Amino acid sequence: MNNDNVQVPASFDSLSSIRTYVMQAASAAGLEHKRAYRLQLAVDEIATNVVTHGGGSEQPDAYIRVSHEITDECLTIVLEDNSHPFDPTQQTLASDINAPLEERPIGGLGVYLALKNVDTFTYKYANQHNRNILVMYRQTPPPETQ
Amino acid sequence: MALETKLELSPKGLAIITLAGELDASNAADFQTQITQAASANCKRLVLIMQDLEYMASAGLRMLAFTKQKMGASVDIYMVGTKPTVQETIEAVGFQYSVIMLETYDAAQIEQF
Repeated sequence: MNNDNVQVPASFDSLSSIRTYVMQAASAAGLEHKRAYRLQLAVDEIATNVVTHGGGSEQPDAYIRVSHEITDECLTIVLEDNSHPFDPTQQTLASDINAPLEERPIGGLGVYLALKNVDTFTYKYANQHNRNILVMYRQTPPPETQ
Repeated sequence: MALETKLELSPKGLAIITLAGELDASNAADFQTQITQAASANCKRLVLIMQDLEYMASAGLRMLAFTKQKMGASVDIYMVGTKPTVQETIEAVGFQYSVIMLETYDAAQIEQF
C-alpha cells in the first residue's frame, strides 16, 4: 500500500479529514467529480459506521487508518480500524426504498449508500483489525449501474 | 468544512432552514435542533435552502425522515437548489418521492396555502 496514509481517532470529528484525504486521492487518480463524490460518500459512511457501531466511542484508543493505492486501472481506498469486528456486507440494507419517508426505518441507509456508490467493496477481518476496501475504476466502466 | 445552519420562521407558517457547508454525522444534531424548533413553532411547511450545501451524508437523510416523523407526514418539505451530487444521494434511497425538489425558490408555489 501507499505509504501516504492518515491515522485518526475513531470519532465523528475525524470524518471531515478522512473526506479530505479521499478527495485528494481521487484527484490524484483523475476521477471525475461525480465519481470522486460517490467514493467520498462511501468512505464517509463506512467511517461513520465504525464510530457508531464498531465500539469507537467506548474505546478510547480506537482509530481509523486510511490509505490508498493508485494503479493503471483503479483507485483503492483502505479503511482499517481496531474496533470490534463489523462486516458492513452482512448488515440489513435499506431494502424498502419505496416506502414513504415517514414510514422508513432509520437505520441501514449509510451502508446501503456505501455499497451502492463504489465499483467494488470488500470486507476482511484479520489481526484484530477490520479492513474495508473500496475500489473505483479510474475510467467510468461501460455498464453504468442504474 | 463545517456546517452552517440558519432558521427563519415566517408569520405565514413557513420554516426556512438554510444549510451551507458539509452535513455529516458530526454535525447533523445542529440541523436536528432547528427542525425541532420549527416543529414546536407548528409550521405548516419546511423549506430547505440547499444551494450552498456541498456535501450530505446519510445523517442528512435521517434528518429528513426525522422531520416527517416529528412534524407529521402532512408537512411538506421543499428542497431548493440542491446540488446534483447531493440530489443523487437523495434519489439513491428514493427520498425524492417524499419531498418537493425545486431548482429555485418559487414563492408562488412555496408560500401559497
